[in-house]
Amino acid sequence: MSEGKKYTFYPGCSSQASATHLDKSLRAVAPKLGIELEEIDDWNCCGASVGHVEGGTLPQAALSGRNLAKARQQGSNDVLTACAACYLNTHGVNEKIKNDVRTKKRVNEALGAAGLAYEGDLKVRHACEVLVNDVGMEKIKQQVTNPLTGLKVAGYVGCQTVRPFAATDAGGDYDTYDQPEFLDDFVEACGAEALDYDPKTSCCGGSVSVHSPDKTLHLIKKIVEAAVNAGADVIATPCPLCQQNVEMYQDAINKKFGTNFNIPVVFYSQLMAVAFGMDANKDAALDRNMIEPLKLVELAKKTPK
Amino acid sequence: METAQEKKTGVYLCGGCGIAEAVPLDKLDAVTVKEFKVPHCRRHEFLCGEDGVRAIRDDIAAGTVNQVVIAACSPRVNADRFRFDGAQVIRANLREQVAWTQPPGAEDTAMAAADYLRMAITEARKSKPPVPYEEGPYSERILVVGGGVSGLTAARETARAGYDVLLVEQSDRLGGHARRWSKRMPQRPPYQAPQGNDIDRLIALVEADRRIEVRRNCRVVKTAGGPGKFTVTLRQGEADQEVKVGAVVLATGWSPYDPNKLGHLGYGASPDVVTSVALEEMLGAGPLKRKSDGRPARNIAFVQCAGSRDPKHLPYCSSVCCGVSIKQALQIRETDPDSSVYILYEELRTPGVAEEFYRAAQRAGVIFIKGAVKGVGADLTVTVDDALLRQEVPLAGLDLVVLATGMVPNAAGTLGGAEQQAPLPADDIDPLSPIPVAGYAGAAPQPAASRPAAQSSASGVPLLNLQYRQGPHLPVLTDGFADSHFICFPYETRRTGIYTCGPVRRPMDMAESAEDATGAALKAIQAIHNVAAGRALHPRSGDLSFPRIGLSTCTKCRRCTVECPFGAIDETSDGFPVVNSTRCRRCGVCMGACPVRTISFDNYSVEMLTAMIKAVEVPDEDAEKPRVLALACQNDAYPALDMAGIARLPINPFVRVIPVRCLGSVSMLCISEALSSGYDGIVLMGCKSGDDYQCHFVKGSAMAQERLAKIGETLKSMALEKERVQNLEVSIADAHKLPKMLDDYLAVIDKIGLSPLKGFG
Amino acid sequence: MDATATTAAPAGARTYDLNFARWVYRNVEGGDRISLCMQCGMCSGSCPIGTAMDQGPRKLFMMIRAGMKEAVLTSNTIWNCTQCYNCVVRCPRQIPVTNILQGLATVAVQEGYAPKQPTARFSKAFWFSVTRFGRTDERLVTAFYYFSYGLMEGVRRGLQNLPIALRMVKSRRMHLGAPHRVKGAADLRAVLAKAEEIEARDAGREGRP
Repeated sequence: MSEGKKYTFYPGCSSQASATHLDKSLRAVAPKLGIELEEIDDWNCCGASVGHVEGGTLPQAALSGRNLAKARQQGSNDVLTACAACYLNTHGVNEKIKNDVRTKKRVNEALGAAGLAYEGDLKVRHACEVLVNDVGMEKIKQQVTNPLTGLKVAGYVGCQTVRPFAATDAGGDYDTYDQPEFLDDFVEACGAEALDYDPKTSCCGGSVSVHSPDKTLHLIKKIVEAAVNAGADVIATPCPLCQQNVEMYQDAINKKFGTNFNIPVVFYSQLMAVAFGMDANKDAALDRNMIEPLKLVELAKKTPK
Repeated sequence: METAQEKKTGVYLCGGCGIAEAVPLDKLDAVTVKEFKVPHCRRHEFLCGEDGVRAIRDDIAAGTVNQVVIAACSPRVNADRFRFDGAQVIRANLREQVAWTQPPGAEDTAMAAADYLRMAITEARKSKPPVPYEEGPYSERILVVGGGVSGLTAARETARAGYDVLLVEQSDRLGGHARRWSKRMPQRPPYQAPQGNDIDRLIALVEADRRIEVRRNCRVVKTAGGPGKFTVTLRQGEADQEVKVGAVVLATGWSPYDPNKLGHLGYGASPDVVTSVALEEMLGAGPLKRKSDGRPARNIAFVQCAGSRDPKHLPYCSSVCCGVSIKQALQIRETDPDSSVYILYEELRTPGVAEEFYRAAQRAGVIFIKGAVKGVGADLTVTVDDALLRQEVPLAGLDLVVLATGMVPNAAGTLGGAEQQAPLPADDIDPLSPIPVAGYAGAAPQPAASRPAAQSSASGVPLLNLQYRQGPHLPVLTDGFADSHFICFPYETRRTGIYTCGPVRRPMDMAESAEDATGAALKAIQAIHNVAAGRALHPRSGDLSFPRIGLSTCTKCRRCTVECPFGAIDETSDGFPVVNSTRCRRCGVCMGACPVRTISFDNYSVEMLTAMIKAVEVPDEDAEKPRVLALACQNDAYPALDMAGIARLPINPFVRVIPVRCLGSVSMLCISEALSSGYDGIVLMGCKSGDDYQCHFVKGSAMAQERLAKIGETLKSMALEKERVQNLEVSIADAHKLPKMLDDYLAVIDKIGLSPLKGFG
Repeated sequence: MDATATTAAPAGARTYDLNFARWVYRNVEGGDRISLCMQCGMCSGSCPIGTAMDQGPRKLFMMIRAGMKEAVLTSNTIWNCTQCYNCVVRCPRQIPVTNILQGLATVAVQEGYAPKQPTARFSKAFWFSVTRFGRTDERLVTAFYYFSYGLMEGVRRGLQNLPIALRMVKSRRMHLGAPHRVKGAADLRAVLAKAEEIEARDAGREGRP
């Protein structure tokens, strides 16, 4: 694939606050990889993992329904999402509308209240899957002018990026549920070292970690500890919630378990931005990580200005 | 009995496959010509090739030889290449058991090769081409006993293959249990719905078939004779009639386990606790109604494994009950969508496509609950010890409780009918007891205490009432199923020419029974053809030899009659044994049993074996080379030795292997002769005996073990250690274990020292 | 409880009552697939948080079949699910376990069973932000959630998490201005209201247990 491709972009709520660094770095590297992003006009929250509990199943589906209807109004390009939970919801609802007559009918009935409609004729894709299938490792490698040599990265993929869709046609058929390789491939394409890291898809606790971290600290500890033991300089991840949970709770883990963790957690797109020779803060948004990724910052300085 | 022809033996030495590199053929030449004075000795570098075979054939045609000793590869290979009209073939295994297991060119290797050649030439001297037993006329008609699915299919398939069939059914209708089934398990993709019962179609086909004679209300009263010439007495009403048949297919099927024994599951306490068999009839009669008050039955629970997998009832699984309950549950759900149907199970057995059936039942709303049923109350409340909830939960509000009971084979006694026959002779064999060894001191092994008696016991009229000296019963396996050497030979029983199929040999459903019956039909057809040519049936298929008893030296001890695994030997009125050759499987257990060695085969005898044993050159003590005789059974141990050779595993060079038909055919004289000839040790290598026997002749290896156990006395009298004679259990998969097994044994010999009897023989 | 059990035996299954199971089949998303469960335990074994649940999914499904409505809807299983989907990809019967647990959480709230559960509270906070602004404002959601426990507790939690909050501010990952809002928030609310109406209408037809 040589020419650029246009996608209708769904940034997701976290892109506005806790995951601004994902948003920034992704938007920065996209043009270099031939990806043109056109944001969905006036997009709303997708409901993430917990919306439906209070809102109900159909209302939650209607949230994605509105996004898809509005995306469709802008054209028939594939919809691209950056966040794993947004992907899960939007893609999931899209599949249901496509395949289940009852769901399509009910969602459209709800959308009708705002004069909207959606047939289910778009494709919803995760940014990583687009990078794997549409862009390809070769092209990523070609953009690397500042290889991240010597950087040891633990590739933590998380759950929802690859489950339940990764190995299915609907998911773009791009990796496995248990041993996904794409993140390590990204890391290596950037010239860094992808460590042998076991808990690739070990759950970080998701939204349960947000409201009840006491229940899930041990899960996050497992993720961090394995990375530290493997000698990682950074943990890389594609999911905003994972990035936040794994980064934010290291203090609490240290307190509870008597450990001494302080390992930075970065997005794959931040790695790419640095590797592509871009600016550490304006593009790679390295100043937005709570735990400063020192080694990566150093590497960014090497960029010839 | 001498052959009129003078024996002209020729020896052919093959140098191919590495033999010439391993073994000095010159020396073998000398053994043949100088030692044994056999003038005709030829060498060839590739004996099984076109040239080699032609050379032999030319010699035979020219009248130079009429008995061929081939010293080359194992007798288990190239039998087709080395088959010659007009000449008997004897084989010496220089390849798999010498060239491939011994270091080439070594002295011990040469000694081994020479010994094997000696043994082969000796065998040739003592062996005659077997003259087959052919005493016709033989019947080609096949008797099928039982008119259910199995019997009907056996009859039909036999007829379709072009043979005449006599089908007897003791009731007045054909179809067996299948007539009562409302529906069948699915036989076609997607295997999700019960399908119609097509037994009527099968019945019609059988009744219309010109080759099948059907007799209803007909029972077997007596069976005499043997394969090819069974004389069966049939009773229909008051009249008895004798018919002649060539083979028998037993398809007497099964009976449901007696539910009256299931009081702990509520049977008898309420008429609404029924068996799955009873439910089947209810399903065929329209919407389900409770038996107690006639109200519709809407809430139904199936109790699986009712009286099965239970040491107090039937210890085994009957394999079909899970499928049957699922089928019945689906039928209920289909006719009554408002029904609540529960299946209570501990494990659910739905192999293969039955998994689709299981899923279909789940989709249809049948509730599956995993737990043990603790009890069924008079109000039909079933208490389930739910395995997942880990508590006892009462399942209340039921209209009907169905006990999925198991299958009991109709293999020993009769179905109903209390007719008595003359009492069995006192020393007759009870087929349900372990094998006693007559004439030896010491107690026979005790029966396994945990095995419950089969439901239809050996009392009452035996099924086929065989007029065999060994007894009238068809020997049964554990749990009462008609015995077959299930490992290798399904459908077979311990009575030659009598084959079983269907649930009488193992619990199975209609589809499996039909397939089983087809197999048994083929075996029966095979039997009548082989028998007519004097050939043995399995496992020595094609063997033309048969046991000859020298009556002048017979002491009438009856060991041969008792020990024959197949009951092939009857008795004359003055107590002499009579071999029914068509019943014989040529194993030679009788030969091994006879204390005066008066039983022999044309090409296999005690005399031959002892001569072969003595033909080996046993070095004297100073040479410090032990000699161990290994008598290896042809079914498992000998092939394992060959396979060790194929894998090029090194085998101890001091072992001399003689293949025997069965360890049971080894006479104790062979052992004592070997010992007195200076052998340092003797091992019997053969199949596993016991409850899960692997001996292809059922109890041959058990016999050998029994006899060996008594040989301690003999050894003591010869002032020899008992370690010198051992029984080694070798299965066909044990090739990789053999080097160590034999090395360990030789180490024992090393420890106790060489035999003091060398040089005395 | 014997050594092999990892979760407690639920109190008092009075009897097997299929009414609740049938209601779940009809009213919980994916619920009809529960009938296909063959109780193999793959789900419970794969769950990362399984040991913290009252019952793993396998046992929960059995409880549904056993009609234990109270126990099922008050079980913490449905609230602890992190939605990692391990169970879904491994179930040999392809039962959407995660979706069913989420569906049960939804009906639990609707039936009034668990308004006080952290997840329920959090969801309420979440939904409030979504309906008002069309977006989730993280400060708003967090504050709403904390104060759902009461004024004192809300303050306490706020103070406890202050260090993290400050670090987020420092990392410029906390939006400091007015909450982002969707221009068509009113439209969105209309759509959501309509969706709720459709759901209630359909539920009315299905009936409640």
